[in-house]
Amino acid sequence: MIFELDNVELYFKNKRILNGIYLKAETGKVTAILGRNGCGKSCLLNIAFGNLKPKYKLVRLDNKPLLKPLFSTKIAKYLPQYNFIPSEMKLSFVFKLYAIDWTIFIENFEAFAIYKNSKFKALSGGERRIIETYIILKAKSKIVFLDEPFSHLSPLHIETVKQLIEEEKKEKAIIISDHMYQHIIASSDIIYLLKNGTTKKIEKLTELEDYKYLSEGSLRS
Amino acid sequence: MYRFLAILAFYRPFVVWSFIANAIIGFFNPLIAPALVTKLFLTIFAWYYVSETNNKRKLTFYKNLGISTLKLFSVIFILDCILTIIFLTIFKEFT
Repeated sequence: MIFELDNVELYFKNKRILNGIYLKAETGKVTAILGRNGCGKSCLLNIAFGNLKPKYKLVRLDNKPLLKPLFSTKIAKYLPQYNFIPSEMKLSFVFKLYAIDWTIFIENFEAFAIYKNSKFKALSGGERRIIETYIILKAKSKIVFLDEPFSHLSPLHIETVKQLIEEEKKEKAIIISDHMYQHIIASSDIIYLLKNGTTKKIEKLTELEDYKYLSEGSLRS
Repeated sequence: MYRFLAILAFYRPFVVWSFIANAIIGFFNPLIAPALVTKLFLTIFAWYYVSETNNKRKLTFYKNLGISTLKLFSVIFILDCILTIIFLTIFKEFT
């Protein structure tokens, strides 16, 4: 599966946020989007998923234009920055809803075994985040969008999420965005830098310093 | 089936308000057609309310299941209409 997002133009009250965007992701690769706060990374993921309607956009799947929102095809899953699973829902119900095996989950995350029949509101922010990330990565799909999957997670869970991404990318196109650039660099195959409303494909990591996303010498430390 | 149950979970917070509206409609004008038109306006208002508050985060949950906002509120409207018709029919039997 090849996913392409092209010609995105987004305005908020006549202020141009995004223009001339091109993004390509394919099965077997993790595509990362880096950029400063407020540069439009989350907007871009929302547009790609179909959550946000820009002035213009073109989505292509395997070179064929898609005219309806991507989510309606049921082949895409999106992890937003916020907790998106309703607090009143039970974990066991959500796992059944997304057709995910609870026992396999517990093999990886033993500490969550006691929460099977608990509601999401009983979990801490970090616990909710790890479960939501797991559900989005493991649910049946072909394209996965992850907006800040490493935020609010302990170092141990960050490593687990990186492993999950590595496993799932074999069958999925994964698009990821986060400020923790070391983890992004470690887990991605292609990097785009979002700057001045447009995307720039990063061929060499030193370009991140050239474009002033990272300060000089950050990559050496 | 699970998807339908998930939609019911979205409808649950609106049930009490729906019954209050049904009771008011029942006392003043217990006719089904105007009641359904009222419910249509209330559903549109609920859509606006959800879209303009933090509740819109819940919509992402349903979009991940392939359920658009239009589909979600359409199913809720149909469910609400069924409940309204049952409520008004029973209400008219006792008044």
